[in-house]
Amino acid sequence: MDNKTVKTKKSIGTIASNYSFVLIALGIFIAYLIVNGGATTWSGVMNILRHSAVVGIIAFGMGLAIITGGIDLSVGSMLCLVSSFGVVVFNATGSIFVTLLFTLAAGALCGAINGVLIGYAKMPAFIVTLATMLIYRSVAQYYLRTTGVSIYNMNGTLSRYNAFYGFGQAKFLTVPLVGIVLILVTVLMVFMATNTKFGKTIYAVGSNERAALLAGIHVDKTRVLVYVICGLLCGLSAFLWMAMNGSVDPATLGKSNEMYAIAAVVIGGISMAGGKGRLLGVLFGAMSYTIIDKIIASLGVDALINDTIKGTILLLAVFIQIMLPLLRSRAKAK
Amino acid sequence: MELLKMTDISKSFSGVTVLSHVDFSVEKGEVHALLGENGAGKSTLMNILAGVHQRDSGQIVFDGEVMEDISVQKTEQAGIAFVHQELNLFNDLKVYENMFLRKEILTKLHTLNKSAMIARARELFESMGVDIEPDVLVSELEPSKKQILEISKAIFANAKLIILDEPTTSLNNNEIDHLFGIVRRLKEQGKSFIFISHKMNEIFTIADTYTVLRNGCFINAGRIADTSPEEVTRMMVGNSFSAEGVYQKRELGDVVLSLEHATGQGFEDVSFQVRKGEVLGMTGLKGAGVSQTMQTIFGARPLLGGKILINGKEIKHENIHLAMTEKVGMIPSNRKENSIIPDFSLLENNYVSEHTLSSRRQYINKKKELAIFEKHKQALNIKANSPDDSILSLSGGNQQKVILARWLTTQADILLLDNPTQGIDVGAKAEIYKLIMDLADQGKTILVNTLEIPEIQKIADRCAVFYHGHIQTILPREEINEELVMLYATNVRQATEEQNG
Repeated sequence: MDNKTVKTKKSIGTIASNYSFVLIALGIFIAYLIVNGGATTWSGVMNILRHSAVVGIIAFGMGLAIITGGIDLSVGSMLCLVSSFGVVVFNATGSIFVTLLFTLAAGALCGAINGVLIGYAKMPAFIVTLATMLIYRSVAQYYLRTTGVSIYNMNGTLSRYNAFYGFGQAKFLTVPLVGIVLILVTVLMVFMATNTKFGKTIYAVGSNERAALLAGIHVDKTRVLVYVICGLLCGLSAFLWMAMNGSVDPATLGKSNEMYAIAAVVIGGISMAGGKGRLLGVLFGAMSYTIIDKIIASLGVDALINDTIKGTILLLAVFIQIMLPLLRSRAKAK
Repeated sequence: MELLKMTDISKSFSGVTVLSHVDFSVEKGEVHALLGENGAGKSTLMNILAGVHQRDSGQIVFDGEVMEDISVQKTEQAGIAFVHQELNLFNDLKVYENMFLRKEILTKLHTLNKSAMIARARELFESMGVDIEPDVLVSELEPSKKQILEISKAIFANAKLIILDEPTTSLNNNEIDHLFGIVRRLKEQGKSFIFISHKMNEIFTIADTYTVLRNGCFINAGRIADTSPEEVTRMMVGNSFSAEGVYQKRELGDVVLSLEHATGQGFEDVSFQVRKGEVLGMTGLKGAGVSQTMQTIFGARPLLGGKILINGKEIKHENIHLAMTEKVGMIPSNRKENSIIPDFSLLENNYVSEHTLSSRRQYINKKKELAIFEKHKQALNIKANSPDDSILSLSGGNQQKVILARWLTTQADILLLDNPTQGIDVGAKAEIYKLIMDLADQGKTILVNTLEIPEIQKIADRCAVFYHGHIQTILPREEINEELVMLYATNVRQATEEQNG
């Protein structure tokens, strides 16, 4: 019985189910091309990359947390909190570099709080990040109220403002810089997951925690680090958001982003049970959702239908992931 | 009066005969000990009686009635209750709720009549002489009381025959006395018991009659009063076994591991020393503390007292990583739960431990790893296609070899093998013994915990026998034989020595 599974390992069906995220993203992209028809432009396509950046980078953090068997519901609120205070720091210092350092450090700190509670205090990840999801956004909103304005606005009169905002809009060889950052993060994450010992550790913890522990892995430390990385990526996302938009509304920024990130991870083929899945899928999962936004925009239908379609695609993706192996084993049985 | 009579029972699983023409009978109002080693066929016989397995041939008469197709439900209705080793109690429900599950007493309004149920339960406990409060959560009961609650449930369901499968494993001496008191009382009331245990002193305390099985065959039956622990042990073990040619005599090196009055969860005041290149067999009945001792040496459990020294250096903290840097490796029991990373390939499973030791260099050099894995694969004769295959695609024996290779990759010098041949077929077992011998020959120090004494005879230089968390004795190779080890492991030997001395 076990031998059969070996032989089918490399079959086309397996590859299709391992890389179903490519098929899904491709299907949605073709739908986009059809809807847009002759109006499709290169810069329009490149914009998909740009608009995938913020959620995409967050989704990589989410992917790591899910691979360890956990989850991070606080990503949207971390994005909100870090970028809100990022605006304050930029306005106070006028330095892009200091702002970048701040967003990364603040993100890592928020993640570390999650990580210590989950890894060392052994509290359930769902509950911890649910709580910090409420806390982080509330802090951002509360602090804003004390300043007496309605949104965090970057000070346009600062000398570095144009350079900062310009970075968010700039292109290198027609490719948006923000999109390039997303690609770099993807490369880095995929490399970490597949070619480093730490990457393997993350999978081991999610696959069999007890065995990982008895094999000498520092399970607690691994968990903490994963949430720190997740926070760090949220910090980077916050920096990109500021560059792209110049302002932050803490009431709305990052709302439901945790859900989109989870969806991107799931569409990317990462198992919610932990231990398996390719991080590359996260990029495709995130882009799939951005393309849906574009399709709805070009169709000119009410944007409120957006989540209906996204939800349906999510169900469809999971359905395919569950059905493909079943169909394969059934075909094998015959 | 005969309550149960099983005659000429045979059973085979996929061509392998596990019971062959076995006779077994129980009188009314007696405690009947069913004896035999692991794999003798006790569980199969009881599972046939309980309706879990169907017999291939033979007849079962219970309480004057011939029982044909037996199902779990039918045996329950007939009055046979099986108290399993893993108790079937709901820890989060109260005592009376467990007893009245699906037999609840209702009020006129069809709500639960709690007070009536509690009163009935209390009545029953009083008649049995049991001191359990019906209104507490089962999780708050001591292990023995849980055991007794299971028996009470059986009595409540009007059981005439109660099967107790190693009921004393998790009990201390006082609790065992208490349990036996209840059993005696119920016996006087006419209930019968089948008592499955390895512990000779308990059998000779509580049982009236016995039946011995060996390799699926009926060996003997009789009255406990007419026999002795030594004789019963001989019947259980037989003299079929001889240790054939795996063992090689070797020069042993210096002491590399020593325990001085080590105390931890499940064991107490354990002292021994192991030399470089030595194979130390460790054995004891379930719950005797061998496994816990190994886990404590490995740092997976806290050391509560005494010392553990590795190469003369005291290991102080409960820290697996520290043990690993001192070149200790452990193959835990229960491979599926404790060793295997199911989503990993062979190569990844092999390297998972080494990675934690070499975590300063984060980049994985797959080429180099493949070369070393290939070396181990050949040395250990691992049968697999590709190193990238899933670990789950291998047979149990080959999986275990990959786990062994995991520790060879870390270059561990002291290997703790906890039940290494569990769930492995006979051929692969022999291979594993041979590997253990080869590794010892190369200077590895190996501790093997197993319940199968023939295994120890094959490979060990010495054998430490545990009973109730203590080392009873450490036998030199010449003295290791199944009978003697059993006598120590069941505490018979200790008792007779005390009497003599």
